[in-house]
Amino acid sequence: MAERRKYKKRYCKYCEAKVDFMDYKDVGALRFSLSERYKIMPRRLTGNCKRHQDMISTVIKRARAAALVPYTVTRKQVVTAPFENLK
Amino acid sequence: MRKYENLVIVKPTLTAEEIQASVKAIEEVITSNGGEITTTDTMGMRKLAYPIDKNERGYFHVIYYTIAPSAINEIERRFRINEDLLRFVTIKYDTNREVIAFDKLVQTAQKKAAAPAKEEVKTEEAPVAETPATETPAPEAEAPAAE
Repeated sequence: MAERRKYKKRYCKYCEAKVDFMDYKDVGALRFSLSERYKIMPRRLTGNCKRHQDMISTVIKRARAAALVPYTVTRKQVVTAPFENLK
Repeated sequence: MRKYENLVIVKPTLTAEEIQASVKAIEEVITSNGGEITTTDTMGMRKLAYPIDKNERGYFHVIYYTIAPSAINEIERRFRINEDLLRFVTIKYDTNREVIAFDKLVQTAQKKAAAPAKEEVKTEEAPVAETPATETPAPEAEAPAAE
């Protein structure tokens, strides 16, 4: 429930910003659709529309292949927030 | 002819000159196969999100170019043979929307290349003196004095 309330207001933020293309090298922009364990957040929680969810998922997978974003994060690494080190 | 982008991660164990040489060799692979390099963008030495071949860091280099689609196979084959590379990612820019985005990316890369001196100094000095860099707005000038 707590999670649900956090994302209650559901609208696509990418539609609002009129995003047409996402760059996989812009790691900071991907953060919104990633959980703290770097899983891709589901649409029901972020409120992304289908089109933008498809875009973000391909972009995140590209970034993972390029070692810009981790595939998985273990419990130890979650505490140290690897994202800050990447920048 | 189609627009492509290649991200290349060069081994961090090489010296700075060797890295430059291997980057040049990579660009030559593209040009020798009939490609035309629009711009390049060096992201510099970065920490990898996960270790590749026991390397924690890597030298990131992005190349934007146009080439006939049939040549991509050969380029990727050559990249796979190259032992200096940890990883490469090839992105195709095909649809109209993607081509527009490609042009934008090229423009930002060119702007970045126009003012390279500042950025290069920052990336090199950031890991050496991290605390003074956050305290002072101009790390290039202040960092040596602080040490």
